[in-house]
Amino acid sequence: MTVDYIFDFLTGLLGGFLGSDYLLLASMLIPCLAIFGFITIYALIVIYAELKVSSFIQDKVGPMGQGVGLHAGKWGLLQPVADALKLLLKEDIIPSSADRPLFILAPFMIFIGAFISFVAIPFGESIIVADLNIGLFYILGVGSIAVLSLILAGWASNNKWSLYGGMRSAAQIVSYEIPAGLSLIVVIMLAGTLNLQDIIKYQEGGIFNWIIFDNPFVPIAFVVYFISALAEVNRTPFDLPESESELVAGFATEYSGMRYAFFFLSEYANMFVVSAVAAAGFLGGWQSPFDGFMSTPAWSVFWMISKTGFLIFVMIWLRWTLPRLRVDQLMNVCWKVFLPIALLNIFGVAIWTVVFNS
Amino acid sequence: MGVVHGQEMVLNIGPQHPATHGVLRLQVKTDGEVISEITPYLGYLHRCFEKHCENVTYEQVIPFTDRCDYLASMTMNFGYVVAVEKLMDIKVNDRVQHIRVIMAELQRIASHLLATGVFGLDLGAFTPFLHMLRDRERIIDLFEMTCGARLLYNYMWVGGLSHDLPKGFVEATLNFLDYFEPKIDEFENLLGHNKIFVERTADIGIMPAEVAINFGVTGPNLRASGVNWDLRKDDPYSIYDKFDFNVPVGQGIKGTVGDSWDRFYVRLQEIRESVKIVRQAIDQLPKDGDVHQSMPKKIRPPKGSIYSRTESPRGDLGYYIESDGSDTPSRLKMRSPAFTALGVLDEIAGGWLMSDVLAILGSLDIVLGEIDR
Amino acid sequence: MSEDIQVLIDDVVAKALAGDMDPINNIEDRVTRSKAKAALVKAKRSQPETEIKSKDSEVSEHSDVKAKDTIEHIVIASLTKNFSNFLDGEQNGEWIQMKPENWFDIAKHLKENEDLYFDSLQCNTGFDLEGGMLESRYNLHSMKHLHAIEIRIKVSIENPNIPSVESLWRVADWFERETYDMFGINFTGHRDLRRILLPEDWEGWPLRKNYEEQETYHGIVVPKVKEGWE
Repeated sequence: MTVDYIFDFLTGLLGGFLGSDYLLLASMLIPCLAIFGFITIYALIVIYAELKVSSFIQDKVGPMGQGVGLHAGKWGLLQPVADALKLLLKEDIIPSSADRPLFILAPFMIFIGAFISFVAIPFGESIIVADLNIGLFYILGVGSIAVLSLILAGWASNNKWSLYGGMRSAAQIVSYEIPAGLSLIVVIMLAGTLNLQDIIKYQEGGIFNWIIFDNPFVPIAFVVYFISALAEVNRTPFDLPESESELVAGFATEYSGMRYAFFFLSEYANMFVVSAVAAAGFLGGWQSPFDGFMSTPAWSVFWMISKTGFLIFVMIWLRWTLPRLRVDQLMNVCWKVFLPIALLNIFGVAIWTVVFNS
Repeated sequence: MGVVHGQEMVLNIGPQHPATHGVLRLQVKTDGEVISEITPYLGYLHRCFEKHCENVTYEQVIPFTDRCDYLASMTMNFGYVVAVEKLMDIKVNDRVQHIRVIMAELQRIASHLLATGVFGLDLGAFTPFLHMLRDRERIIDLFEMTCGARLLYNYMWVGGLSHDLPKGFVEATLNFLDYFEPKIDEFENLLGHNKIFVERTADIGIMPAEVAINFGVTGPNLRASGVNWDLRKDDPYSIYDKFDFNVPVGQGIKGTVGDSWDRFYVRLQEIRESVKIVRQAIDQLPKDGDVHQSMPKKIRPPKGSIYSRTESPRGDLGYYIESDGSDTPSRLKMRSPAFTALGVLDEIAGGWLMSDVLAILGSLDIVLGEIDR
Repeated sequence: MSEDIQVLIDDVVAKALAGDMDPINNIEDRVTRSKAKAALVKAKRSQPETEIKSKDSEVSEHSDVKAKDTIEHIVIASLTKNFSNFLDGEQNGEWIQMKPENWFDIAKHLKENEDLYFDSLQCNTGFDLEGGMLESRYNLHSMKHLHAIEIRIKVSIENPNIPSVESLWRVADWFERETYDMFGINFTGHRDLRRILLPEDWEGWPLRKNYEEQETYHGIVVPKVKEGWE
């Protein structure tokens, strides 16, 4: 595992100067910093992408800088930096009637949930922070921390809109975890493991060995998973917890400045996590689509990020195209459509595997 | 198992809320997501329009009418000058009439574009809104070309207009219409037939015809309930009887007659009809005629009163003017269509979910400037 | 829509078509009620002989009547049959001047009589006649017969009570509140007569001709000298 590699490397380098406790600590901190840096840079890029993609969909140019002076740089490249700076510099307001400790805790919790999911995401054969043998299960598990923190944020704000947002998000995320999980069971059945690395290795050998092309039931499972994932990360058409035209800003109504930015950041980080799981589970992860070509470690990082990036792009695309569902429709879709489909899918895949692949 | 009873919660939607289209406060009683009772509180935008009018001359009222329905200033002007002209018995020449109709119909297109776009926005569809604003912008450019203003025009004066049409206006308008007509289909496909949009609006907020009439709802909202009532056809003012156009009524294509989807669709169809009227008016536009010809030196209507109605994009816009023979109105009352449209909200939206209530509110197309005056 | 609601709606619509509107009006749930009413309209439309608004035939019929008499005379004639002593002074033919006493019953007659059928209250305007009299003016219109009248009711400023017609034309709810707000005309029998455009604690009736602004409002001094726009 990565921590061991770094520890060995550091021991070789600095073994004589520092005790092994310090080195272990350092070798754990280094991947954390790497993830943190990755999330930050990724957030800047995806904010820029969201601005630009939405602008092109809406027939406008989006952030643009022209000529000399204070502006957002060429093609508005500095816009996300300006956004981030604005959020950092804003006054941090905690409402006097809010439940102060919980109010402060909520944004950290949601970010931790997103952050620790990154630990188990593989970017290459050996490029993974922690190669857990239950990687998939782990990601689904820690993803649920988001629910807790959203309820916490909704309750602690002591605002009726926040309360609505919190309640809606709880109902929504808990419900949609079921079809998402059931769709991933298809992957687990085919690969026979919960380890994300092994799942990806199962898909070795070019695009037609990817799980999504394994049998006719898997694409359905993929679609169900992707839509459920969309609901889990509160993106349109499932952005009910923060639907700006109904609930003002839902659970984030009372948050400002950096605390609001944490919600913002975690939403994008969660988008990456669910897309990465979809890419690893269905689209071959870091495997090249061409058997044997372009499969060096650098290429594998490229494939993983570009597959994930494509799914994130689809999420942005959907957001700026579709209206929002209503609460009861959201639940209907989940319990009456996705759940039966996901269950039938499991049977379908099982029968298919027994009949054709045995 | 017993039935679980929740406690009702009183929630204030507004005065600052993204979905109230201005400063409106809806005090709602909610049980979870279900809203059982809606009490609108108005007056946050009250600017004493009627009181002001009693202190200024008839000409000076026109800019005030602009500011009532700031999204359809042209038709607000139009309704007022028609009322005063009826009171004074002024006949204006054909060129002025045609220009007024062109402006009013362009304004109707602009207003409906915003109404349908914002309705989409209330349901979370951001993109159609910006596409519609883009085209509304081109209409506003045409207005700017004509009178220099982009929002509050003060263009129609009693007995005439402030300016004649500028050079190139006719070509620019025809260009715009050629560009715009295919876009209407695009809007219809983009928003109107979107599955989620239909799910959110069809069968939601049904307003039966008798309720609509009893609550004094007019304009597209009334027509969506299946009542064929358009003042341009049924009580023609200006020269609307010269033009050939249809009055779209709600047919319940996606759900029931008078649901939110019908209100959206009627507006979209009205945009098509307005395009037709503008084209005809431009065809028939007389070349000569002074737009200041019949403007009286001093507007001093004879003693008497008049109630005059015109069709604004939001419905029957009535002006009740009582003149005491001086040059200021003794009493001027605006019967605003959005005022009555908001009055029906509790009746048709009570009992629906919170998301639906805001969708219904969006479908009624209210402008707070006109409600509060 | 669930099955039993659909059955209920079909049932009440059938009853309503047979002339019994009570089942529809008795439905508790507003959503169901409005759905039922909409279904009723749909059902009525599919029966051409009872169409809600058969405009053409009515217009021709109406124009025949109009040739004989103005609408004001028809209304007065129809009212005289049922009510007595309702007119207030001389009539000039442009509007009908009425006394406030039995205005509610007259309004009910105007709305429900088949020949008059003023189903739409277009506008309600208050007016200060000066000399101690206030007036409430109603512009009525019939969507069926396409005729319109104006009715004026005069009351003294000391005792400005007019029966409310809010339960007949629900649009009058807010119209009357506005007239009350601006003129202080008290509409008796109104369910919820509050100020509508002005704040609850505003003093005075702004559109009366002798209105004086209050000195202060919540500690803010109201400027008496108006500058800039006069």
